[in-house]
Amino acid sequence: MSDSLNSNDKREKLLELNKVTTHYGPIRILHDVDMVIYPGEMVCLLGGNASGKSTTLKTILGIVRVSEGEMYFRGQRADTLSIAERIERGMAVVPENRRIFPKMTVLENLEMGSYLRNDKKAIKEDLNYVFDLFPRLAERLSQLGGTMSGGEQQMLAMGRALMSRPKLILMDEPSMGLAPLFVEKIFEIIKQVNERGISVFVVEQNANVALSIADRGYVLQTGEVVLSGPAQDLLNNEAMKRAYLGEV
Amino acid sequence: MAVSSIPEPKKRNWAPYLIIGAILMIVIGRIIFLGTVSDRFNAAFFTRAITESFKLGSLYALIALGYTMVYGIIRLINFAHGEVFMVGAFATFFLFSAAPYPWPVAVLVAIPIAFGVMRILDFWRGKMTDPIVLAGGGVVFFIAVWLLSATTVNFVLALIFSMLITGVLGIFIDRIAYSPLRGAPRNSMLITAIAVSFFLQNFGLLTLTRRQTPFRPDTVLNNSLVFNMFDGTVRTSWLIVVIPLISLVLVIALTLFVTRTRLGKAMRATAQDAEVAQMMGVNVGRVIATTFLLGSMLAAAGGAMWGLNFGSLNQPAILGILPGIKAFAAAVIGGIGSLPGAVIGGLIIGFAENFLTAIFPRTPEFAGITEFKDTFAFILLIVILLVRPSGIIGEDLSEKV
Repeated sequence: MSDSLNSNDKREKLLELNKVTTHYGPIRILHDVDMVIYPGEMVCLLGGNASGKSTTLKTILGIVRVSEGEMYFRGQRADTLSIAERIERGMAVVPENRRIFPKMTVLENLEMGSYLRNDKKAIKEDLNYVFDLFPRLAERLSQLGGTMSGGEQQMLAMGRALMSRPKLILMDEPSMGLAPLFVEKIFEIIKQVNERGISVFVVEQNANVALSIADRGYVLQTGEVVLSGPAQDLLNNEAMKRAYLGEV
Repeated sequence: MAVSSIPEPKKRNWAPYLIIGAILMIVIGRIIFLGTVSDRFNAAFFTRAITESFKLGSLYALIALGYTMVYGIIRLINFAHGEVFMVGAFATFFLFSAAPYPWPVAVLVAIPIAFGVMRILDFWRGKMTDPIVLAGGGVVFFIAVWLLSATTVNFVLALIFSMLITGVLGIFIDRIAYSPLRGAPRNSMLITAIAVSFFLQNFGLLTLTRRQTPFRPDTVLNNSLVFNMFDGTVRTSWLIVVIPLISLVLVIALTLFVTRTRLGKAMRATAQDAEVAQMMGVNVGRVIATTFLLGSMLAAAGGAMWGLNFGSLNQPAILGILPGIKAFAAAVIGGIGSLPGAVIGGLIIGFAENFLTAIFPRTPEFAGITEFKDTFAFILLIVILLVRPSGIIGEDLSEKV
């Protein structure tokens, strides 16, 4: 199909962007972006400042509307769906800068993650899963979100996303503003989550860390995909090294 | 990261504290003085003054909650809220005084009542088209038509109906006047709010020419209440108990809604970060409509009890203005955006207005300060904001970008 890289891949696609173009008012942000995520995959999106990384994520979630092109999620046309409908079909987001609700408790923040669900029993199970993953959160159930450290807030934001029992988690710069040690820990947890079969789409500036655990990567430049391929190939790509990986 | 600068030592401004101290000194001194000068000012007198202040304060609190809720969600100072309060008062009046209606009028009035009930059932079901919501609305519609066209309506039922009608008016105002401006600069919405306020005032001016409307429903609530305490007799009415009680019940219901229910939590989440709330699947439009519904319902309850308290309603063009602005002052004093802040602010304004005038009564050698009671709310507003610019329990607004 349109994505030349995966044209011979017969697997069912979880998410597909087909020549997606988006605008902020009259300004074009994304231009003919093709992108595929397969079930269980971890895909990272790299790129410099203002390359359209965050916009891609917001387009997938529906905060920014698609002006041209199509988007499919789990085999269904998705670019006409509302944000809530996309979440119900299995998307979840860890927004940039965590953006947890500062005046709600840890438990209430997690409850907001399962806002659209009605299956009380399964919600309880997922809550326990989140507590297994982040024991720190279980200790601080009634603490206000805003009083936690940056790392704890990142855990909470991830826990909140997991509470919707998603098929695909969208992460916007999970490493931003965290201590290097913590970045590694967070990515380790992302890997763990991914190993449970949840697909992860991560927008990241920290290309080295992201590529070291991702399956595949896309590189965005001024709203266009300029490079894509398996993570290992991108790590060894000469142009990549010069531009993003900080090697000369 | 930017180089951290050494914070300059903060200069404390003592003047506002001195003013507050001076006010407290005057009040305490005055109470002691009154106690010695005449038998009239016994414990029963002060009990009455305090409970009356509490009663008035709880009315301001009900109105202030509407200001603070709307501000918390869409950062709009809803200047039309005072007029919503006015409509609530008059809706109650017409419900208990004019019923039974001819059936076409009853149908017209029952439509918003049924819609309001559907909006409330929608909290629980999540969808207006849910069969239970539709059935509930239908049943309420027919009951309301029957009640309004066949019987006289008692005060409590009039209050409930009026709350529903006014709540729907709140949603309607938001839909017509504010929601098209959601993306516009904040000042546009503010100006629109003032326009809506003027519209409702003038609409009232044209439709109701009476300067005073007697508001005397046939209810036991108006009966007098006389009891002895300490060394004197307190003569008052049951309103002194009932108004704070109804207000308390409504505030508790609102608190439970906001802290325990799913939609209430979505409301708080939207107030804190609307975009992320949306990313969790919250329908922000529904949350905003709910905010207007609840805020306007509380204002209607406040309006109905306002009429009960004073026994008459002013001309609609002026009824809403002063209580509205004082309640707004109350919301700001408490910290706008905070629900407990609005309640505390309302009580403070109530006390400032009522208690101060009670302890400075007209005497042969002193004209009293009743004429100035309306200014106290605003003097307090200035003084408290000098000490705490973000209100008594408001969040620090300076950190918000």
